[in-house]
Amino acid sequence: MSEDHVYTALIADDEAPMRDLLRARLQAVWPELRIVAEAANGVEAVEFGQQHRPDIAFLDIRMPGLSGIEAARQLYRQSHIVFATAYDQYALDAFEQGALDYLLKPVTAERLAATCARIRARAEAHAHAQAPAPTLTPAPAREDIGAQLARLTELLEKKAPAKTGYLRWIQAQVGSSLRMISTREVLFFQSDEKYTRVQTAGGEYLIRKTLKELLDELDPDEFWRIHRSTLVRVEAIAEVTRDLRGRHMLRLRNYAGELEISRNHTYLFQQM
Amino acid sequence: MRASQINRTVDFLRDAFEEASKLWWRFFDWVAVVEWRQLMLTWFFVVVFLGLLHTPEPAVWYIFGSLAIKTLAGGKRKAELQAREATHKADVATLEQRLMEARMAALQAQIEPHFLFNTLALIGQLIETDPPEAARVHAHLIEYLRSTLPQMRARDNGTLGKQVELSRAYLAIMQARMKERLQVRFEVPMYLHSSPFPPMMLQTLIENAIKHGLEPKIAGGTVIVRAFVLGAILHVEVCDDGVGIDLHADEGVGLANIRERLQLLYGDSAELIVHAPLEGGACATIRLPYKMMEGA
Repeated sequence: MSEDHVYTALIADDEAPMRDLLRARLQAVWPELRIVAEAANGVEAVEFGQQHRPDIAFLDIRMPGLSGIEAARQLYRQSHIVFATAYDQYALDAFEQGALDYLLKPVTAERLAATCARIRARAEAHAHAQAPAPTLTPAPAREDIGAQLARLTELLEKKAPAKTGYLRWIQAQVGSSLRMISTREVLFFQSDEKYTRVQTAGGEYLIRKTLKELLDELDPDEFWRIHRSTLVRVEAIAEVTRDLRGRHMLRLRNYAGELEISRNHTYLFQQM
Repeated sequence: MRASQINRTVDFLRDAFEEASKLWWRFFDWVAVVEWRQLMLTWFFVVVFLGLLHTPEPAVWYIFGSLAIKTLAGGKRKAELQAREATHKADVATLEQRLMEARMAALQAQIEPHFLFNTLALIGQLIETDPPEAARVHAHLIEYLRSTLPQMRARDNGTLGKQVELSRAYLAIMQARMKERLQVRFEVPMYLHSSPFPPMMLQTLIENAIKHGLEPKIAGGTVIVRAFVLGAILHVEVCDDGVGIDLHADEGVGLANIRERLQLLYGDSAELIVHAPLEGGACATIRLPYKMMEGA
């Protein structure tokens, strides 16, 4: 790259004050850098990045639409990526091990100056070695970055404990609105001809989902099937007793009635 | 005519019998729990009083009766009553623990990592560009911290008005960060400000609305906080027009904690209900018995 090449940059952060801060800091530590676009979400970041093809993309990790990491996976081949994050231990650990550039928010002038100096030094070494290079990131490093980004995406997905893939909310039509019942509220499900009855401590609801469908979608550690027509929430179980006819009966917390456990499901309670 | 008279007599006898048995058990409990020294003191007074009336017989009955109850049933009954009191104390202790957990969760969720970092960064940035706005955000942050740090909590936190005020502080900070992506509307009539309302519940619902509803939505949206009375039930509702509830995302510690605390505080007469309006977004409503007077 020639000495008089004007470097360009993209800033992506969903919070306007953070964009203002980064812009102000960049202007102070690297006055020649031209900021060609500012994005307020991940989708815009990709769009503006592809449109302006900046040398550097400063990406916030948490953004609506697409996360900074997802945006980076679409931009890293053309722009040098610098992540910004406030506090994300998992991501930070990954950054420490890898070669990705990152900034801690709030961005300090010193840290930003050091990062910019490193990027420039790398670019200059590159320019001396070989004339017009397409990006600031050398090709072999690019492959490495692609792999790292894939790993990061996986890591952050796994880290979110809320996303287990199991059904956590049951929807029941009540009048004209849709009542959302958390599975933590449910005591048991019981099939009732075409419908399934959902019993909570506060009341009961009918839903169209069949017991079979529920069985497939719910967390098997959260709900146990105790009968052909009954699924019970494990945490709600109070005790198991035998009635005069020798049947196993289940009693629940916050519920007056008893539920029958069919013979081929009594094994669930053997160790109790 | 006669049948109704008999019924009335039977009713009267039954009531009288119920009253008598209630009084008897109250006496029984008292004898079981009272100190030996106090019991003997009553014996002395009964003997003196009835001695003066020259009818010592009831006094003897009383002394032997209570002596028998005290020695035979006293220990067991006392243990029972103590157990009952201990259960009550344990309930209160659990409640306090839940409240503490809610506060700790609030602390860990936003204050420690993101919320405090981002807010301080914002203040730092505003000091350079917009000092009056920096001072405003700074004041809101202090007010918010005061409400969330347990050791700093004020005594009068338990009214709806106070909770609304604290939520305004939090929302003002979030508005300074999210700018036009966050709109806020409060529909809480003045007369409800003095009604009792548990701390840290409204806060949790608002944080959820922003975190799960509006932050992931590119355009952002509106948080509406509503309070109204229907029948004798106070409804406090937080609605957003965000991305709606992810059916596969766990409801989280916040909502579970509110449910548990409502159960401990009000039993079955309070509940937390989540629903999805047809227009999209999410609503969470806390319903609890409405009392006109604070502390009633």
